[in-house]
Amino acid sequence: MSLIGKGILKGMGVTAKNFFQSYYRKERLPTVEYPEEKATINQFSRNFPFLLYDGDDPVDGMRCTACTLCERACPPQCIYIIKDKDENGKAILSPRIFDIDTSVCMSCQLCVEVCPYEAIRMDSAFELSNENRFEGLLLNREELLKPNAYYHEIHPLEARETDDRMAAKAALAEAKKKARQKRARLAAKNKPPPGLKKTPPTRKKPPQREKSE
Amino acid sequence: MNNYFDLKLVELGRWIEAFFAHYPTLKLVVHLLLCTLPLALSFMGAFAFTTWLERKGLARIQNRPGPNRVGLFGLLQPIADGIKMLLKEDIVPERSDKLFHFLAPIMLMIPAMIGVGFLPLGDGLHALPLDSAIIFFFAISSLNTIAVFMAGWSSRNKYSLLGGMRAVAQMISYEIPLVLSAVAVIMMAGSLNAQEVVASQQISSWVGSGNILQEFFGRILGWNVFKPWGFAGFIFFFIAALAEANRSPFDLPEADSEIIAGHLTEYSGFKYAILFMGEYISAFAIAGIGVTLFLGGWNGPVFAGLPWFVLKLFSLFAVMIWIRGTLPRLRVDQLMGYAWKFLFPLAILNIFLAGFYHFLERQWGTAIAMLAGWLFGFGALQLAAIALSRLNQSPTIRSKRVYQLVE
Amino acid sequence: MIVAFYLLALIAVLGAGLAITLRNVVHAVFSVLLFFSALAGLFLLLLAEFIAAVQVLVYIGSVGILMLFAIMLTTNVVGDPNRPVQSRGWVWGGLAVVALLAGVLLPIISRTGGQSPTPLSDFNPSVKQLGLVLMDPYFASLGVIALLLTAGLIGAVVAATGASEADQAKTVPENRPRFPNN
Repeated sequence: MSLIGKGILKGMGVTAKNFFQSYYRKERLPTVEYPEEKATINQFSRNFPFLLYDGDDPVDGMRCTACTLCERACPPQCIYIIKDKDENGKAILSPRIFDIDTSVCMSCQLCVEVCPYEAIRMDSAFELSNENRFEGLLLNREELLKPNAYYHEIHPLEARETDDRMAAKAALAEAKKKARQKRARLAAKNKPPPGLKKTPPTRKKPPQREKSE
Repeated sequence: MNNYFDLKLVELGRWIEAFFAHYPTLKLVVHLLLCTLPLALSFMGAFAFTTWLERKGLARIQNRPGPNRVGLFGLLQPIADGIKMLLKEDIVPERSDKLFHFLAPIMLMIPAMIGVGFLPLGDGLHALPLDSAIIFFFAISSLNTIAVFMAGWSSRNKYSLLGGMRAVAQMISYEIPLVLSAVAVIMMAGSLNAQEVVASQQISSWVGSGNILQEFFGRILGWNVFKPWGFAGFIFFFIAALAEANRSPFDLPEADSEIIAGHLTEYSGFKYAILFMGEYISAFAIAGIGVTLFLGGWNGPVFAGLPWFVLKLFSLFAVMIWIRGTLPRLRVDQLMGYAWKFLFPLAILNIFLAGFYHFLERQWGTAIAMLAGWLFGFGALQLAAIALSRLNQSPTIRSKRVYQLVE
Repeated sequence: MIVAFYLLALIAVLGAGLAITLRNVVHAVFSVLLFFSALAGLFLLLLAEFIAAVQVLVYIGSVGILMLFAIMLTTNVVGDPNRPVQSRGWVWGGLAVVALLAGVLLPIISRTGGQSPTPLSDFNPSVKQLGLVLMDPYFASLGVIALLLTAGLIGAVVAATGASEADQAKTVPENRPRFPNN
């Protein structure tokens, strides 16, 4: 035989415990009073992309080569890139304009996945409210560029990984270069008659940019 | 010290009235204003405070701090809300019944305010000291239903109408156990007069005997909750009162996860505020009559009168908030079944229990009546409750359920 | 007192008049409720508190809501606007009212000479007195009424349960149509 209403009393006991313990136990009141204090952001949190640069000067140390892979990968098409040109009209491997419209961005991180130069990464800054909802949320190259140190600060684990990967790549490239030089030196020593050996030129695929434009 | 505040307040009233002694008509007007205006204003203030209390209490139950920006501890939040409500646009649906849409908030406020007037707030603090105050209170509080229906029907919105229908069905059903549980008290007090009901809840031989202990406990132990029939009656009354006031877990008429806000759906701005206030004040009125009938009214040791009444009223409201933070909402069929198949028979049984207690008390004295009442009477109620809950269980499904679309 | 009486009487007549002339049924019901509440006010003026309370409780709280409940389930509350409001029956209605006035009200007024038999200041009925009267001289009739109402209640319950079982037997056949197995 059970007392009628026992379950209700039990439930009320639970809520009473929550009520009273919220006054003296920290885990019963986990709310962070936002503008005065801020919760520590998890290093795996992400919202909008930013551009990385090495060294001190943002524009010189920019990792981005304006390959527009991210522009093509972006599902809501919020990235806009125009390649830079030198005085002779020849293309330089860096963007003159790199805009990201954060009001359109859906934080999918696909741009980060496709980038072969580790130049674009996800930011975790969240206080992005702005008085102008059109231009204010459209971030340009200067606003997007942030140093590698900042990346280390917000995503330490990921940044270390990226650095290691870049170092490995650089080492590999160095080794390849050395090997090629060595081979060239060897070839020069053996002195084959010029024009005797025909090496077929490595076929390059035509760039697929035309299709997207 | 007893009744000190009440006496002072009555004295203050007399003092103000004395200024108009030479103008009999003006004096009457001032008298009426003194009877009604402080009551209305203080209950509106109590409403404002209660919205804060409710938000804070619910927040703490859900492990959040609640409103804490406007003023100290967010105490000025109700004022900010009021200003916001006043400044909002008042939207009236195109095809609504404009007159009734406008009248419904007023119609809700009127019975709520009249109902509050029937409460004996203290010794001599009684706005409408009618001889049949308690039955009048129940009569007036049944008018809430009409206002809710008005609001629901005139909005010409299906959710509003559903809310209105639910409200009418629920309020009619729960009025019966509400009144029946009050009947036991009226029977024992032998009066429909609210002041006499309050007076019956002190042990008259102890109060005024001069003995400090007897003085102290004579004003507590006489409360009806401490009697077996009163305790059971209080529980039935409280459950029915929750339903009458549309409070959780019986807040089906404005179930926001099902029908948006029920009869409040098409209201905005100040009309919404008035409707909201009307609901709170009628909840206050029902809690107040609960205090009067079962919790000894303004009886209490040391500061008998208004302070005790206010304390009890707010404690009862705090329990309502606590219940709101705990229990999930009932289903419609559960709600009606609960009123008719469970509360109603138990409340009738409780009336017989009260009669039994009264007989025993007369025959053999209070001590034996208490003992027998708690042992047998309460046991009988428990047994009846268990039997009813067994009876009301929906028949078990004997055949194995077959899911035809599976496999 | 006099002003209050005439005000309430005016509201009562207005409510009754609106109830039979308004097109919208819901509005008509609310004007009936207005009439009932004015009547309750008149009872209060006569110091008949208990009757006033019962008037509010029974007529406004129960009868009115019953009417509203019935109307809530109808779709067309306004009705056919082309039909005239007054039907031919108004002649008979008017005649009945005149007959009532002449046959019942006028003799009473003439017998008392337009004055209350007991001055209101001496006449102060309490609920207690009413209860005593009901319980002593009129106990038999009260008991009969109570028995009748209880019988009605039980009859309603029996009728309701019987109907639902019959409905269930009718609507739920033994072999339910099955979903096609594909």
